[in-house]
Amino acid sequence: MNTILKLEHIQKYYGSEGNITKAIKDISFSVEAGEFLGIMGASGSGKTTLLNCISTIDTVSAGHIFLEGTDITEIKQKSLARFRRENLGFVFQDFNLLDTLTISENIALALAINNVPAGSVEPRVLDMAGKLNINDILNKYPYQVSGGQKQRCACARAMINNPKLLLADEPTGALDSHSSQMLLSTIQSINEQLRATILMVTHDAFTASYASRILFLKDGEIFMELRKGDDGRSAFFDKILNVLTMIGGGQSHVC
Amino acid sequence: MYAKLVFRNAKRSVKDYLVYIVTMTICVALFYAFLSVSSSYYNPDIGSEYDFTLLSDGMKVAICMITLLLLFLIRFVNHYMFLRKQKEFALQSIMGMEQKTIGRIFFAETLIMGMLSIFTGIFLGVFCSQFITATLLTAYGKPYEISWTLFPDTVLLTVVFFVAGFFVVGIFNTRTIQKTKIIDMLSAEKENEPELKKSRFISIAAVFFELFTVWGLITGIQKAWFYYDPRFALPVKLMFWGNILFPLFALLWPVFCMIRKKKREYLLIGLLICSVLNAFTAANVAALKNKYYLPLGSGTLKQYLLFVLMDLLFFICALIYLISGLIVVWKEKSPEHRYPEEALFFFGQITSKLNTTSKTMAIICITLVLAIFMFVAAPVLTGWSLGYLDIRSMYDVQVSSRYNDVYEEENLPQDSYEIITDFLTEHKIDTDYDCTFSLYLPEKNDFHNRQKYDFPIVAISLSDYNTIREMLGYEQISLGEDEFTTQWKAIATDKERDSFLKEHTSIMTDAGELTLSGQSYYEDAIGETAYNSYTDILYVFPDSVCEKLLPVIKNRYITTAENISYENARELEKLFTEEYPEQAESGVMYGIRFSTLQTNSTIANNFILQAAMLYGAVVLMIICLTVLSLQQLLDAGQYKYRFSVLRKLGVEEKHIGKLILQQLSVWFGLPIIAAIMVAAVIITYFIQIISAEISAYIGFGALMLQIGATMGILVILLICYFLSTWIIFRRSVNS
Repeated sequence: MNTILKLEHIQKYYGSEGNITKAIKDISFSVEAGEFLGIMGASGSGKTTLLNCISTIDTVSAGHIFLEGTDITEIKQKSLARFRRENLGFVFQDFNLLDTLTISENIALALAINNVPAGSVEPRVLDMAGKLNINDILNKYPYQVSGGQKQRCACARAMINNPKLLLADEPTGALDSHSSQMLLSTIQSINEQLRATILMVTHDAFTASYASRILFLKDGEIFMELRKGDDGRSAFFDKILNVLTMIGGGQSHVC
Repeated sequence: MYAKLVFRNAKRSVKDYLVYIVTMTICVALFYAFLSVSSSYYNPDIGSEYDFTLLSDGMKVAICMITLLLLFLIRFVNHYMFLRKQKEFALQSIMGMEQKTIGRIFFAETLIMGMLSIFTGIFLGVFCSQFITATLLTAYGKPYEISWTLFPDTVLLTVVFFVAGFFVVGIFNTRTIQKTKIIDMLSAEKENEPELKKSRFISIAAVFFELFTVWGLITGIQKAWFYYDPRFALPVKLMFWGNILFPLFALLWPVFCMIRKKKREYLLIGLLICSVLNAFTAANVAALKNKYYLPLGSGTLKQYLLFVLMDLLFFICALIYLISGLIVVWKEKSPEHRYPEEALFFFGQITSKLNTTSKTMAIICITLVLAIFMFVAAPVLTGWSLGYLDIRSMYDVQVSSRYNDVYEEENLPQDSYEIITDFLTEHKIDTDYDCTFSLYLPEKNDFHNRQKYDFPIVAISLSDYNTIREMLGYEQISLGEDEFTTQWKAIATDKERDSFLKEHTSIMTDAGELTLSGQSYYEDAIGETAYNSYTDILYVFPDSVCEKLLPVIKNRYITTAENISYENARELEKLFTEEYPEQAESGVMYGIRFSTLQTNSTIANNFILQAAMLYGAVVLMIICLTVLSLQQLLDAGQYKYRFSVLRKLGVEEKHIGKLILQQLSVWFGLPIIAAIMVAAVIITYFIQIISAEISAYIGFGALMLQIGATMGILVILLICYFLSTWIIFRRSVNS
């Protein structure tokens, strides 16, 4: 299997001299093509900072991040936007849809920004909408559809440019349990059928159990790594809970 | 503690509400500058022949009335600030602060900002008032010297006026804060766009338009019933029919749309076209009446003017409402229109904003039309009256009489007004020229002819005419025996003159037939009292002929060696009117005019009119631009989110900057272009109606210069507001 994303000794500090907060102390890992990687951790463990660094929204203090061999920490500020729209797809907790556009226009916007020829925009939107089962809401506005549908629309928008890496930040954070389940099935099918590489940040064990591998972060470092392997999802879920208990125990140990 | 909170909030708000402070400062500066003229400490050297009190009292009233408009602006900006600060108010409430106290703190905060603008404004106003004084002294024809004075009474009036304004608005705000629920204030920012619903105002506008159309149709049928004549020229016939058929069409169109179940947009497009056609035919009523002397009264003209205004108002509302629909249609037409780069996003921004604010946009557009019209009309009206002043006050003393209500020949005026001679001698006022003369009827039979459009032309004797010409510095003229010539008012057109002279190569008089002289006409201005009522021509006959004619009017023109002072003029006017009242028992109407008094009152009235109209126009423009600007800044929070989504999707900063610029250009450009279009139509119509007066008294060059200046001021204000909005908008989107 070929490695699509590789992080080498990433460090991220905030603050100035004398008052430095180390959000990420030293993290290294790699992601294979077609893998569904979950990153878990409590609040303040550094998972969102890590995601921001990978998505080029934030810069690292030290270390290198390679996406298909390109060191994204070296890309010039001017070319970053272009790099993002050509290589990365995003799904956010609060959907980030534009309320002035319909669902189909929201998806089409991602193509239009990438200068896709006007004639091929609509067929591609319809094709993607079919895969994610949102055909019947294409002409509605975001405020007219449910949260789950909004998030599926966000997934469609993220996937429409065939990104090398799909980054999902707490995708089920704003959904009820039924919608969460539906969405996670969708993400799983994106991973399996479209062969998309997914990196998902979450603090919810149930959501994480859909991933094939999970990295647990604690205080800016990788605390543990868990692979699903041949386990069923519920067995994997139990393992995750155990690790979480272990991390929590660390805290109670202090008390 | 509360005081500290107030000051800290105000300090922070200065940055947020820069546009508000700038606007208020400009308004205060203008207010102070214009009002300083009316200060009792203001005493410019305009000479003893002029009196200043008339002007200052008029100015005070005019300026204060216009400034009441500013209350609207203060209210709007305060509301904007209330919306911005809702969340903060909610938090303060939750912490246990009483809503009454919160309201008071908010009020104190706005008052501090208001006071800041008032003092900066007065400071700037001192500079502006120099400009006003310079204009004023130029109007009175005096040299100008700079004088830096702060007028205590004007300062007091300015402060009282604006502080009272802040208080009135502040009371409203405090009540709003008290009445709003905490939960509503807390969740105000999170609210989803309640907006995408279309506003209902267009339906109301359409209903009003239809009501006026019904009235228009009834009027059209009535006028055709009473006045229509098959002998009318084709344009008049078309006007009569148009005024019936177009309103009828406008009434039937909604019925048609209802039966065929057409969309609301179809209905509105039809009504929009109807409003244009209706306005066109209604506007033609006045133009054609002047051209073809139609027997329509001024009441009818006013009625049609109302219809034109209503049609134009509806046109603006419908146009603004339909524009977002047109954008959608254009967008839907082809993928090439929708999908180049961020076009989709841009269209979404514009249509969503237009849909929810079409009412505000329409009101802004209408206000701008009014402002532009005031700008252009002010100099036209004042130029007209000043040009007219040159003709009216050509002589220092001018006595005239009219025989319109005299029915017996023995009652005709014969006096030579000796009372004036006595007064001038008594006050040791030397005269340069003094001419008492009669105007004669060519034919005695015309004495009883009193029809307005057929009033007889009167004649002056050659010697009197030459004396008047000498008084005014023109060359003397001569006439052969049995010859006559003509003298014309400036307002008569060349065409009228030529056709008249062609038809009147000889005329019959009681002293025999006279033929037209080789030099058939003179156009040098000699004052309007030298003509008979309703006529633009004066015959000049040899003295021997005039002796045999019936004198019907007796006038006296005097030029003095030095100016008559304002007091003397008033006194003589009083004495004269006592002896020769405006409507004497004999039926003769006497009038006396002094160049001193006339110049004084005309200049004063003109100055008030011009200053008030220009001030009003600038205030209206500023209000419009502030509202446009704040409307964009108010939504900056929402826009920040939308642009952040774009950034996450990988749109470059350069593109985002371009999008912001495009969006603001449309937002500012749309109402301004629509307003300029409509104003251009109205002004063209206005110029067309009074073109004779413009060419006679103002000149088209001067008018074009004024229109240019108007556009210049509009552009400068627009640039100021556009730039400041753009800078603040970019900052808030990028932060």
